[in-house]
Amino acid sequence: MKLRLTFTTRIALLAIALALTSNIVLVAFVWKLVHDDAIAALRRDTIAESDALVAVYRTGGLAALQRTIAERRTPADPAHILAVIAPDGRRVAGSGPDFAHVAALQPTLFEIGRMSDWQLWAEREAGYAVRRIDANRLVSGRLLDDWEQEQRGIERALLAAMALSLALGIGGGLVVTRYVGRRLNSVADVIEGVASGDLSRRVSNAAADMVGSGDAFDRLATRLNAMLDKTERLMTELRIVTDGLAHDLRSPLARLRAKAEAAVLQAEPAQREAAMGGLLIETDLVMRILSTMIEITRAESVPRDRLAPVDPVALMEEIAELYAPVVEDAGMRFEAVIDRGAPRLVLHRELLTQALANLIDNALRHAGEGGAITLRLALADGEARFQVEDRGPGIAEADRAQALRRFGRLDAARSLPGAGLGMALVEAVARLHGGRVELGDNAPGLVAAVVVPVSG
Amino acid sequence: MPPVTRKILIVEDDASTAAYLAKGLSEGGYTVETCGDGRDGLFLASEGIFDLIIADRMLPGLNGLAMLGAIRAAGVRTPTMILSALGTVDDRIDGLNAGADDYLVKPFSFAELTARIDAIFRRVDRGVSEGQPTRLSVGDLEIDLLARTVARGGRPIQLGAREFNLLEYLARHAGQVVTRTMMLEKIWNYHFDPGSNVVDVHIGRLRRKLEDGFAAPILHTVRGAGYRLSTEV
Repeated sequence: MKLRLTFTTRIALLAIALALTSNIVLVAFVWKLVHDDAIAALRRDTIAESDALVAVYRTGGLAALQRTIAERRTPADPAHILAVIAPDGRRVAGSGPDFAHVAALQPTLFEIGRMSDWQLWAEREAGYAVRRIDANRLVSGRLLDDWEQEQRGIERALLAAMALSLALGIGGGLVVTRYVGRRLNSVADVIEGVASGDLSRRVSNAAADMVGSGDAFDRLATRLNAMLDKTERLMTELRIVTDGLAHDLRSPLARLRAKAEAAVLQAEPAQREAAMGGLLIETDLVMRILSTMIEITRAESVPRDRLAPVDPVALMEEIAELYAPVVEDAGMRFEAVIDRGAPRLVLHRELLTQALANLIDNALRHAGEGGAITLRLALADGEARFQVEDRGPGIAEADRAQALRRFGRLDAARSLPGAGLGMALVEAVARLHGGRVELGDNAPGLVAAVVVPVSG
Repeated sequence: MPPVTRKILIVEDDASTAAYLAKGLSEGGYTVETCGDGRDGLFLASEGIFDLIIADRMLPGLNGLAMLGAIRAAGVRTPTMILSALGTVDDRIDGLNAGADDYLVKPFSFAELTARIDAIFRRVDRGVSEGQPTRLSVGDLEIDLLARTVARGGRPIQLGAREFNLLEYLARHAGQVVTRTMMLEKIWNYHFDPGSNVVDVHIGRLRRKLEDGFAAPILHTVRGAGYRLSTEV
């Protein structure tokens, strides 16, 4: 909770800072463009003039000052101010507004502002300096011209823009924080739900569905959902495998127990020995089921570096060489149709071989005598198909999806325990290779294929 | 019975497994020493006085593969067999890559264990005495490893490439039991159990070629264990 708070605060601050910086840069840029040194010149001239006049007052008194003002004044220019203002605000000498607020002010070196309510002076701002000369004030300066007035306006507007940008930045920060917080919270809610055991929850991801590409949050949601999908599937599989383990182990263990009992009761040595041999076979069967089970769970998490570039042609030829005599001894024809143009693929040689061996075993079990088994490697649409085809009863199209999902449960006719596990292993191996298992119709018979993408 | 008593070191933390191994191997004529800890195992093995080390993978102190690595790093070449409950294909390959001479998955049959121990000792002896033989003979069976031809009683026998490899492996371990999994590992380089009787089928074909038309059997089935190439029944 503390982390999320500081994180959102940080995001808000970041948004504000970003808004401010970008606006300051913009303001500075505009100011630089429109800035002119007219006001700076006015300031310089005004200060110089007021310095000179104060010097005159100090040496010659008010009379000398009035003389000098009269000399320097340009009567044609009403904008020019050279005035001595009494403490009550009235002009006592010089030119300028008859009445000015400056008397109340402290003497200032230079200021821009409205200095009087009198006539023209009320409409325009002036740049002026106020100096104290005994009780009175010496005011000098000039009314701003149009350009200077505009420049003042722009400067003021820029200041206002700065203030506005601060407000906008804060507002924007709050909006961003709320948005980010809302989206993060929706993710956090899902994670909390999952942590408390509800694996079916997903982050809603409407934006990504509509736009297709999605932003970082959509990607986070997509990835999280994909991860949850996998976790949910693994949990389901774990349950199926556990159920299957109990189911598949029950019958061989029951047989094992029956045979052990029979062996114990068997008095005749030769038969007793035969019964003992049967015990070993049943024990091996249980061990096989266990090792297949472990291989399935491990195949789900095999690191990619276990896979290596393998020549699929050689892999298939080795399987064909290993199984041809086995199929023929079972009274079936065996054929290997291998596309020799297949490129090297990144595969787990042993696990893929084991998966295909399982498919051949299934075919051997179901196809029946007099049939044929074809081992085929084909390339199509950027995919390599490692395929086992038989001429058995096949699987009805309606049942195939079901068969793939829970092969072991569906297969009512299976005679050997662990057959469903074999199919589960094939699926796990296909997924390990980023591929899939496909079941098709061989008219008649079953086509079972491990389909692996050729690139990537 | 081996001519000189061979010494086997068993590094196994499970006392009952260790006792079972020690009892069986002692009855088989080996001198056996056991210890239950990877560090002790490393210490004992470093003496270099053993002919074989049988080590569990999951050991207290130092795990089996790390112990094996340390033993090899110390320059001790004693053949080592890993005995482990970790039995997936990748587990086995890891063990062999770590320098183990063999990898056997628990639970195991004693016949499998002794067949593999015999094979290791045979390989060691051959490495010491003969170097690389060019011919192998078992009774009236002659195998020319260079020309890759086989004859029995002077009569040539045509074999496929894989059948020849199978026969060569059996002949190199003539008189000893060779198990199905040993053949799968050595001939086909598969570390999983294919389930159906693939090895039996290949052996059956080889046997027909070796025995059809001859009076004496030469390729024997050893029940509950595997096969043996020998003139003695």
